[in-house]
Amino acid sequence: MKGSEALLKRLPNDIGGLPADRIEQVDHVLEPWEKRCHALADVLDFHKIISTEEKRRGVESLGAEIIGKLSYYERWIAAFANIAFQKGILTPTELAERMREVERRFEPSPGESHATPGRSS
Amino acid sequence: MSTSHDHPHDHPEGDSHEPIGTDGKPGYYDVMETAVRELFIEHGLLRAAEIRRQIEVLDSRTPALGAQVVAKAWTDSGFKARLLEDGRSACEELGITFYDDTLLIVLENTDRVHNLIVCTLCSCYPRPVLGLPPDWYKLKPYRARAVTEPRKVLEEFGTFIHDDVEIRVSDSTATVRFLVLPQRPRGTEDWSDAQLAGLVTRDSMIGVAFARSPAEEVA
Repeated sequence: MKGSEALLKRLPNDIGGLPADRIEQVDHVLEPWEKRCHALADVLDFHKIISTEEKRRGVESLGAEIIGKLSYYERWIAAFANIAFQKGILTPTELAERMREVERRFEPSPGESHATPGRSS
Repeated sequence: MSTSHDHPHDHPEGDSHEPIGTDGKPGYYDVMETAVRELFIEHGLLRAAEIRRQIEVLDSRTPALGAQVVAKAWTDSGFKARLLEDGRSACEELGITFYDDTLLIVLENTDRVHNLIVCTLCSCYPRPVLGLPPDWYKLKPYRARAVTEPRKVLEEFGTFIHDDVEIRVSDSTATVRFLVLPQRPRGTEDWSDAQLAGLVTRDSMIGVAFARSPAEEVA
């Protein structure tokens, strides 16, 4: 056995029964963007634009490395973007442009000395 | 929906890597969430008000709802029978709406059987009645081990199950969710539903703990 078979037999999400560490009872309060991401997921599922199971598969198809390095809701939003591209709902260019625009909202406008614009501005 | 976490520097699940920094700028994924959401809205697929409404719904769901269901089942045998028959419609009797299209199967703990719920593939959880799951429920150690060594897992939560009690582990899916009905603590015979609900913890409804005893309540 070369070892690569294991990659086919178990996709990244399929971890039931694998050896793992002792359970640490960790938890955290969601960041505002994480809560918005969760609400977005629910609404996408309500309308069957992206169902819960599609999201799960979308996360899985990010691959083991991304899954290992991104946090829970980081994986969700990355999966939503990919699924939206696949369905032709969004284009990568459209998303990249909008992300740049969102970032610009937090940059001080020229001539403005104080550099903390509000999120809702 | 979570996934495996094989890399050596396991971080707490859901830990936001890039919160808004001290410069007031949102992190990369925060920006991505805003951009994706705005584009979905502009394409007419959903409305901003729906997202705001769902955030309010999420905020309204806590284990206190599940505790109310359990306390009612302890004091009302007719309700308990309906709850075990169809968890969702029994919860709806108490005004707990299901905002998704999931089924709810309620698993009763007895002197012979102790139930435990898990989602090995991701993080499916009875959110309408318990709110969002704790991070440990979504992390690899619990998901990987609950199905093969539940007794040991329970011991790590300080929960010791007698060897003659069967432990049943139920693995949740996107559409089928489970809730554990813990055993009613002894010494609570004349307690009201509201008093009983105070003994029912989130962890007892996941199955990693028992309901609190009256002694713990006083302590």
